[in-house]
Amino acid sequence: MGAARLSTPGDRHHALWRRVLDHWVRRRAPAHPPISLSYRQVFILPTRFGWTLGALMLAMLIGSLNFNNNLGLFTAFIVGGLAINTTLLAYRNLRHLHIRHGLAAPVFAGQTATFQLTVANTEHRLRPGLELVQGSRRTRFEVAPDSTTEVSLAMPTRRRGWQAVGRLRVETRHPLGLFVAWSWFWPEQPLLVWPRPADPAPPLPDGGRGEFGQAVHHDNDGDEFHSLRRWRESDPLHQIAWKASQRHRTLLSREYRRERSPHVVLEFERAPGRDIEERISSLTAWVLKADQTRRQYTLALPDCLVGPGRGRTHRDRCLRALAEFGNR
Amino acid sequence: MARARAHVSTPPLAAVAWTIGAFLIAAAPHLLAMPAWLASAIVVVCCWRLLGVHRGWPLPPAWPRILLTLLAVALVGIAFGGLWGRRAATSLLCVMLAAKMLELRTLRDLRAVASVSFFLIAAQFLFDERLALLTYLLAGCLSAVAALVVIEQTESAPAGREPDRNHPARILSDAAVLLLLAVPVALVLFVTFPRLAQPLWGLPDNVMDAKTGLSDEMSPGSISSLYADDSPAFRVEFEGSPPSNSELYWRGPVLWHFDGDTWSQAYLTNRMPAAVVPIGPQARRYSVQLEPHERHWLFALDYAINAPDGARKTLDHQMVSRHPITTLTQYQVISNPEFEDMPVLPHTLRRMALHLPDDRNPRTLAMAERLRQAHDDDLELARAVLQWFRDEPFFYSLDSPLLGRHSADEFLFDLRTGYCEYYASAFAILMRAAGIPTRIVTGYQGGFLQPGGSYLLVRHSDAHAWVEIWLADRGWTRIDPTAAVSPERISQGSRSAVDRPRHWFDSDLLRDLLNRYDRLQHLWNRWVLGFDADRQQQFFERLGFPDLSATRLGLLMGVLTAVTAVLVALVWLWQLPRDDRTQRAWRRLLARLRRAGLPKRPGETPLQYAARIRPALANEGELLALVSDYCRLRYGPSGADIDAEAFASRIRRFRAQGREPRTAGGV
Repeated sequence: MGAARLSTPGDRHHALWRRVLDHWVRRRAPAHPPISLSYRQVFILPTRFGWTLGALMLAMLIGSLNFNNNLGLFTAFIVGGLAINTTLLAYRNLRHLHIRHGLAAPVFAGQTATFQLTVANTEHRLRPGLELVQGSRRTRFEVAPDSTTEVSLAMPTRRRGWQAVGRLRVETRHPLGLFVAWSWFWPEQPLLVWPRPADPAPPLPDGGRGEFGQAVHHDNDGDEFHSLRRWRESDPLHQIAWKASQRHRTLLSREYRRERSPHVVLEFERAPGRDIEERISSLTAWVLKADQTRRQYTLALPDCLVGPGRGRTHRDRCLRALAEFGNR
Repeated sequence: MARARAHVSTPPLAAVAWTIGAFLIAAAPHLLAMPAWLASAIVVVCCWRLLGVHRGWPLPPAWPRILLTLLAVALVGIAFGGLWGRRAATSLLCVMLAAKMLELRTLRDLRAVASVSFFLIAAQFLFDERLALLTYLLAGCLSAVAALVVIEQTESAPAGREPDRNHPARILSDAAVLLLLAVPVALVLFVTFPRLAQPLWGLPDNVMDAKTGLSDEMSPGSISSLYADDSPAFRVEFEGSPPSNSELYWRGPVLWHFDGDTWSQAYLTNRMPAAVVPIGPQARRYSVQLEPHERHWLFALDYAINAPDGARKTLDHQMVSRHPITTLTQYQVISNPEFEDMPVLPHTLRRMALHLPDDRNPRTLAMAERLRQAHDDDLELARAVLQWFRDEPFFYSLDSPLLGRHSADEFLFDLRTGYCEYYASAFAILMRAAGIPTRIVTGYQGGFLQPGGSYLLVRHSDAHAWVEIWLADRGWTRIDPTAAVSPERISQGSRSAVDRPRHWFDSDLLRDLLNRYDRLQHLWNRWVLGFDADRQQQFFERLGFPDLSATRLGLLMGVLTAVTAVLVALVWLWQLPRDDRTQRAWRRLLARLRRAGLPKRPGETPLQYAARIRPALANEGELLALVSDYCRLRYGPSGADIDAEAFASRIRRFRAQGREPRTAGGV
């Protein structure tokens, strides 16, 4: 799957380190939902505040040791005991948390997708202070006893195509913010990003050329020039093409038509645009327009043909084909 | 964005209130020890900030904040005469934290204040480690933990949701649980953490608070503040029966030099080692727990054989510690009362012990002249003076005025009312004038023997001063002129020398309560405060770990701490999802069916299981009803309309009734 990764420049900087880490994490334990978190998936490190309090504790420790001050020492040890227990409590907050499927509805490139993750708590206690994190985006949530919660995380998109959701983490700083315990996982279901529709949308191509055998209705009083034909008596004077008549030495009149085909063929070759991406954008706009006007349409891409059809399912198939085009 | 910034600039009131509360509790003893104006300024700033958050006032701009902080620092410097010393340093810390209140912007700021509260608590114990402060330790830690809990809850609350767990009682109980869980780990660390046998760095002298205690100088009138101080000076546990009260002279600083107003120590005698004291048949063994007095000397009965580690003995048998006594200090002493101190008096010392300033106390000098002519023997001369004290109208009183230039004259011939310092000083001057080498010894006399004789409590109010004269055939000999005037002061303790109760609350009942409390304090001192490197070694020796090096002790500490943490985790943290009534009843049902030969397969859901075994049961309808109720109770929306109680009793009544012919085939 040649999917584009969500990444920021900062992430790219650590690409190698990250790949090694990812590899190691994935090898340790199952990393694709559905998973139930256990000690193999949970990592714990002090937060910045944890380090600060640790330094403070060390100062208390050394000062009290020096003056052989036992109550001072005991205070420092209480802070130490809090820290040790906090790691266990943070781990306990994640332990046996079930991470079920994660899904995101497709969006157009440039829009923000909403990734929905189902998290289940099978134990009879509240799990407070949880966060779903990807990069700098985070959502706070908690899971009530014996219940299931949907967590949604906004994910910006840039390019069309299948986009891996990438590494997500569920973390908690409960109960004192001294330690952060987290779990990494990779949702298997990638996120579909439709192409960005061209704006303004180009007009729909009119007039199927009949290759598909559908009837084409002509309507002579249209306003679009269609062809020249021999003059008939009923033709109004302004329809006569004088120059052409002179060349052909016979009276020719212009025929105007409006094609009223219920079927549109959206062809890649006919889509306006300077490069593939612009054409894809135009096609996307066409698909949306055709869908809005509730017409039957066919999407004709160089390597595949979608349709004819109409309705939401058809539209989604077309958009998906456009998203995947050239990326498959 | 604007909304987000507005949110950042004012942390929620609850978090701010808890943090400021934690700070005030942790700072309370420091505030009480500060000048009142400084303490009240700090409290006012805290209240003002709290009100500001409540009303949504903006934070003050930067420059008045900085100005105010600098001003406060300067004022602290002036009030304490510098920013060094423990009291000045902790006051400064309090001031800085109060200044921080003026810019509580983020949760991070709150965290900083809450965590420094722990530091303030630990710092307080440098001043005072009494048992009563255990409540301060727990209250301070509890409030700091509660503040951290609130801050964390505020930070991690799901967006757009007011944390419903913000109820004060709920927060306190959360914090109490966290603290309670931390205590066992802290205790293990306390016992196993390797202690320093010697401090890493010493404290410079005279940087601490002036504490009430014995001074190294004496001018009549200066100890008087001590007599009102009932706080313990030290406690003594004797091996065997304690000596009688009149033998309990606790030797402290020995004063040689007299400038006419003040008696002080002599540099020379302080720097020279004492003669070796042998252990005699009358030797007493005892251990002393000395409360911190921030000076160097240790107290012992005459004459200590050995100085404890980190201390030495001087020429005049004082024990001087290398470091000031800033924490409770325990030491073992053996004293030999029969020792003859300095049978030969070197010339320099004789000169020092006879020195008197010129043109002072003419009447005393004249009297010494008369006495000298009447008595050849030095001891007889001294006894004659004591007899004179007894015969003439001399009185013992704590309310005595300061004396002028001719202090001995004024006291011996005009005033005739005073306490030990007056008597000791005047007697010493008289002896020196008569040509008898004399020095003054200060220290404590007597003590309160706790009922049962478990230990002797010596209070600051037992402070005393007496005289030693040098006799040719006996060396330095103790003479207590106060005893001649007020013998009960010596035989029964300082309290008996005072006619009326000194305070309205000075009742027997209260004294009894205080003595009981002191017994607790004694145990506390002995087992908690006195737990040092030596005690630790002894403790582990008794447990069967002789000769633990610091490394091994560290290893042991790691192992024990981990074990304790895991035990705490198992017992408390992991409290597996509680087996409620429904679950117990369900398990009973499963067990019953298992015994009936229809065990549930692992991985089978209740409904699958019921579907599989129903052909084997005659009462399948009952079973299906139970199983479906179980599923609704356990997995249905909370508050399912089934009575768990009734469900459990239905399960109790349920009996698997086999259906004979069809069970054999299995399903």
